[in-house]
Amino acid sequence: MRIRFACLVMIASALGVSVWAQAAPKGGRGPSAPTGPAPRLPDGKPDLNGLLNGGLSSQDISLNLMAGEQIVLTPAADKLMKERRPKDDPEANCLPAGVPRMAPYPWRIVQQATHVFILFEANIHSYRQIFIDGRPHTPEANRWPSWYGDSVGTWDGDTLVVDTIGFNDRFWFDAKGHPHTDQLHTIERYTRKDLGTLVVETTIIDPGSYTKPFKVGYTARYALKDDLMEYICAENNQDVTHITPPLP
Amino acid sequence: MRLTMQMKLGVVAAGLGLWIGALPASAHHSFAAEYDEKKPVKVTGIVSKVEWTNPHSRMYLNVKDANGKVTVWNFEFGSPNHLFRAGWNRNTVKEGDQITVEGWGAKDGSHLAQTRQVILADGRKVPGFASGGESGGAPTQ
Repeated sequence: MRIRFACLVMIASALGVSVWAQAAPKGGRGPSAPTGPAPRLPDGKPDLNGLLNGGLSSQDISLNLMAGEQIVLTPAADKLMKERRPKDDPEANCLPAGVPRMAPYPWRIVQQATHVFILFEANIHSYRQIFIDGRPHTPEANRWPSWYGDSVGTWDGDTLVVDTIGFNDRFWFDAKGHPHTDQLHTIERYTRKDLGTLVVETTIIDPGSYTKPFKVGYTARYALKDDLMEYICAENNQDVTHITPPLP
Repeated sequence: MRLTMQMKLGVVAAGLGLWIGALPASAHHSFAAEYDEKKPVKVTGIVSKVEWTNPHSRMYLNVKDANGKVTVWNFEFGSPNHLFRAGWNRNTVKEGDQITVEGWGAKDGSHLAQTRQVILADGRKVPGFASGGESGGAPTQ
């Protein structure tokens, strides 16, 4: 028993698993790994509702490039990225992460017949609103460049396809400072493979910063027994005053 | 305090020093931009204040040197969200407790450090950041 116990510890450590993380008290908020087929709503559409963990690397989006994909910056974007400093990262300054960046905190999909909301625990306690009632994008004259853009969703079989335009150019794709312009257009594909798994693939189109579109992807896990917690980033953000150049 | 089997497992793992070499997950800013992994810090003192706040929990420690001079250290921890999901609660460390904190010092030379682990008065070792689990496979950052 003791040997098996020690082996478990060693294996968990080798895998980088936080053993302390398993020490959540009974009835606590520890992560769970549900299994089973992907659920459906009464109308037959895939049910994406639930709390999720996982996202692109907030530090370096290139870590999530899909097979065969490349990030090729325009000269202007390359110059801008090299000039950026960690203390100026909007995320470190408690501003929204934008799209497709997400802080490594839980997030929740709330799916209605007409809207899908993505509720973020962090980096700021905010949300995205995706219209799935068949409407086109909001006319340009009726919107202004925004952090989360103007999102409309359609179903491609069992995949929710979210098309977003109308972004501002203020957020960074990652802490390395991958930039974008207000020409950014994202196409996200959300597919619930089974009860516990959501696969997300995102196409980044921004001729202002990248010479060709590229695709990034990740797999998120549903945690059926966890809930969002409050996260007010600006309440005690001491970091930026201690961040020193240059880029790591 | 009675420890559950799982908690014992956590204590055993921490006691074996398995956290060494694993820089903490920091959702919010670059570790390397603020802290120096070549500046290890280990101090013992009395907790003067605990802040359960975001983007980071903080614990302030009164550390007395050989001459009796007290220096206040500011230790950055994971967010309360991460810590509580990892098994912490509001009684794990309280104001007035004597604790030892190990971490990495700030590059700017201030009495600020990012916490690797806390050694509680009863000898238990508790990680100051939780990586994995709550971030669902997002890379350690």
